[in-house]
Amino acid sequence: MAPKPGAKRLLNKPAKATSAGVFLALVLAALMLLGCGGGSSDSSSSGSTAAETAGDAGGTGGTGGASSANGMTSGANGAEKGTGSGRPSAGSSANGDQPSAGSKHGPRVAQPKGEPEPGITQQQRQEATVASMTLESPSSQASSAGPQALPATYTCDGKGTSPALRWQGVPQGTAELVIFTMNVQPVEGKLFFDWAVAGLSPDLTEVEAGKLPRGAILGRNGFGKAGYEVCPPSGAETYMFTVFALPRKLSPSQGFDPSALRKEVLNISGNVGLLALSYTRG
Amino acid sequence: MRPKAIRVALGAMLAAIMLTAAFASTASAAPAWKFEGKALEGTETILGGAEKSGLSMWGMTTTCDNFLYEVDIKNEAGTGKGGVTSLPLFNCYTNSTCTVEAIEAETFPWPAELKTVSTSNYLVIKNVDVWILYGGWFCPLWGVWAHVTGTAGGLIDNATETATFNPSSFKATGTELEALGESVEWNGKFPTEAFEWHRNQALSVS
Repeated sequence: MAPKPGAKRLLNKPAKATSAGVFLALVLAALMLLGCGGGSSDSSSSGSTAAETAGDAGGTGGTGGASSANGMTSGANGAEKGTGSGRPSAGSSANGDQPSAGSKHGPRVAQPKGEPEPGITQQQRQEATVASMTLESPSSQASSAGPQALPATYTCDGKGTSPALRWQGVPQGTAELVIFTMNVQPVEGKLFFDWAVAGLSPDLTEVEAGKLPRGAILGRNGFGKAGYEVCPPSGAETYMFTVFALPRKLSPSQGFDPSALRKEVLNISGNVGLLALSYTRG
Repeated sequence: MRPKAIRVALGAMLAAIMLTAAFASTASAAPAWKFEGKALEGTETILGGAEKSGLSMWGMTTTCDNFLYEVDIKNEAGTGKGGVTSLPLFNCYTNSTCTVEAIEAETFPWPAELKTVSTSNYLVIKNVDVWILYGGWFCPLWGVWAHVTGTAGGLIDNATETATFNPSSFKATGTELEALGESVEWNGKFPTEAFEWHRNQALSVS
């Protein structure tokens, strides 16, 4: 889609564009005066053209630019106000349709700093993992706001057992499923693993609370233990439960390093199911 | 019996008149885009731009230092309509270990319309479609697409010519954004101005 005039005005850098526009307008005006002999019959249209050029250039100048463009062109936009049918016309009077009543209003939208965030590249589209699987927890409780709540029994304030998880949408050709549970907020600046389980059959669609199927391989959590443990120091914490579908088996050994396995998983897995659960302590 | 039939007929007519009047008043009360107090004729392009606006989900907030939306607006049968045609975002980051690798709004235009709830006017944007790719080795969402979809309602304040999106405005308009199976909270106050035919004119909704 072609950029719209409004966005153009705001997105482009003002100073250079405006000054370039002014310069160009002056040069054009000078050329016309010299070359056309300054004929009076053409002067208004010449003026309009020059002003429009300046206006366009100024118009590319972001909010500040737009502001200066308004002052500079003084209606050179020739806006057919309210008609909605046309763009600023080339032949309109230089003082024609300036929104005179609006002089009390300056630009209100702040000039953005820097460049817009980059769009998504083709490579990113291909390589990123898609949350194509649904993951839910029959153990969770409804919450008035934000993610669902993790009951205390699944934390160190209770029995500390793992919650039940249920998922759907495992893609065909999956060789292994891996579960990671992480704190959304870092602990001491690092990603904190509460639970890491590998070696799960692709045919599996759920794990019961406090239980794991045969063949499950437990990784070492952030507390240094091979198992599940959710125990925030105090306050509210959000936990992200994820189940990844792997196109080939990674089969790590018991007590594996979840950080290293996650790196391998992200390299090969294109599908994940995610679930956020929150717990407030104290 | 005959007088009773007449009473019934008269009652029905009265009810019909009252209903018609009620609908007519509702129709006339529909909010419209106005410039300098006059209803917009034709189309205009407006730009809403917030200095810092954030999308919160998963206990994490993604903030953009400049968060803009551009809307082509018009009045249809007295009601303000529009379509969001672009959403450039500047300098986005999170309050966690995640970085914003890429963020892009897609499938424009997003239909928009004005809506009155109680005595307040709202801008409701439908079909929101934003993709976010987070990065960072310590980011729990690293490498995973967060696809923000849904409808967003923002409160319009004529005095300040702003649209404010927050949980209250979402609740009032019954709108919701969602990503990765979770509700997404959008907070931001957007000063708004016209950029084509009505530049520098006071924009209001009523």
